[in-house]
Amino acid sequence: MTELTIAMPKGRIFEEAYQMLIDAGFNLPEEVEMSRKLMIEIPEEKIRFILAKPMDVPVYVEHGVVDIGIAGKDVLLEQKRHVHELLDLKISQCYIASAGLPNTKMNEIAPRIATKYPNVAMNYYKEIGEQVEIIELNGSIELAPMIGLADRIVDIVSTGRTLKENGLVEYERITDVSSRLIANPVSYRMKSARIQDIVTRLKKIVN
Amino acid sequence: MTTIKKFEKPIGMRDTFPVTYEKNETLRNIGRKFLRARGYEFVNTPTLEYYDTVGKASAIYDASLFKLVDSQGNTLVLRPDMTTPITRVATSKLLKEKIPLRLAYFANVFRAQQLEGGRPAEFDQMGIEIIGDKSVYADAEVIITAIQLVQNYSIESFKVTIGHAGILNCILNDYTENENQANKLRSLLIERNYVGFEEAVISFDLPKTKSDALLQFINEATNIETIEQIEKYVSKNDALLYMRQLAEIIQQADLTKYVSFDFTLSSHMNYYTGMLFELFADGSGFPLGNGGRYDGLLHHFGSDVGATGFGIRVDRLLEILPTQEPREKTVALIFEDALFTKALELANSLRNEGKLVTLQSKNGLINEEAFSLVFDEVLYVSQEDQLQ
Repeated sequence: MTELTIAMPKGRIFEEAYQMLIDAGFNLPEEVEMSRKLMIEIPEEKIRFILAKPMDVPVYVEHGVVDIGIAGKDVLLEQKRHVHELLDLKISQCYIASAGLPNTKMNEIAPRIATKYPNVAMNYYKEIGEQVEIIELNGSIELAPMIGLADRIVDIVSTGRTLKENGLVEYERITDVSSRLIANPVSYRMKSARIQDIVTRLKKIVN
Repeated sequence: MTTIKKFEKPIGMRDTFPVTYEKNETLRNIGRKFLRARGYEFVNTPTLEYYDTVGKASAIYDASLFKLVDSQGNTLVLRPDMTTPITRVATSKLLKEKIPLRLAYFANVFRAQQLEGGRPAEFDQMGIEIIGDKSVYADAEVIITAIQLVQNYSIESFKVTIGHAGILNCILNDYTENENQANKLRSLLIERNYVGFEEAVISFDLPKTKSDALLQFINEATNIETIEQIEKYVSKNDALLYMRQLAEIIQQADLTKYVSFDFTLSSHMNYYTGMLFELFADGSGFPLGNGGRYDGLLHHFGSDVGATGFGIRVDRLLEILPTQEPREKTVALIFEDALFTKALELANSLRNEGKLVTLQSKNGLINEEAFSLVFDEVLYVSQEDQLQ
């Protein structure tokens, strides 16, 4: 059996995906101690987990330093990296939407959009025939319309509570997001048996 | 804009240091010998080409082209690949002298990039083109040559994945309702977005037989051992027969173990009309090379004789290559000025033995000890004891 390296986002997605692997019959310890560790070895299954920032998972996979990874569709859309998208794990489901102050129109001359996802936002507004100016922020995007930095924000929405609490309303639903299993193109060929096996077994758990 | 520091190079440009240079040269010589022995003639083409000829016809995305303007106002490009210029020169000249042509190249190509490290903007490519032979044997020769070339570099762990643009088109057209749907699916396959493919198929609301067939296809067709497995999706046609023959020839050459078929394989290069393939090897996260039949590009240059070929990324080959053989012995010959003639004589006789001899004046050295350390052997030509 060949060694397989898997990049996982830290936190809740890791726990959910890890549980899916256990449910799929992989021999993994029930509890993993992962306080500050960045690598977890599972010799029984010849698997090594790399714990990364969600935004970085596709980077590791594209460069081939890990074979497969679990990444949010939002990150994949934003970064457009050369990876194979193999399976929708249907965990951490949410969506990307535009939002703003209630009953407002976008500025006609230079509508401004604040977002963590400049490419996704740019592509969306291009698609609907609207030329916008993008302001990239790294967090607390909801602030932007409230203090007059932008007309709209484009951000992840899961329950809509954050928007509501900050007095914003959702305008357009842009795209659905969930966690995906992705693979490096070379690993996908060189370790095809192992990767196919994981895909098949996880697919049964998803459905 | 930050100011450019003295040591900086444009993004993606790399210096070649002596060790890499030698490794590259060795690799080039092995490749040249191997390909010439198979009847391939090496050619080179200009670094600069017109945007309207080579630039536009090339398969490389426009945003990746380095563009310049000449004194007449024409847009020029730094060649982004070798296949397009070779097609230009073959269709305008070489095909009149010989057909089919078997050409080879080892040349630097340029792809602009603004992203991040790990992607050179200039790199060497090595490859072959067979122009003017539409037979299945030409395609088989290309694949077999690619495999044996890789083997020739003592790389053992590698794989070739073969697809066929015609068969994929057949399947996509047969099982969708209109061209838009087929194109949508094709572009998802180019991105290798299998999840998106399944979602799109479901969203099209196709008759159940069609959508079931497509969903089954996407699950099965990425990793196929024998051509028979794909036959249930397509009615018997020439392309299928062609692929069967191709598989047979590869088997006759006893190279089947390196080959698998993926009928979802698709390229944004619409000039790939028939068989196309990708080459992968352990040791690099990126594909080693690719190739295929590009009759469409020839057609663009006004010829219908057909062409097929492959290219390998030399930078990735360098990354993969096992440790290199020991270098020739390096010798430093440090002489005192008065004894230059003697030193020269000695140097020449050592050079005739095949050693790499550096002749260095003792007076010219700032730090003799440090200098001596980088050689396998150090000899002194000095007054006291003539020679040690």
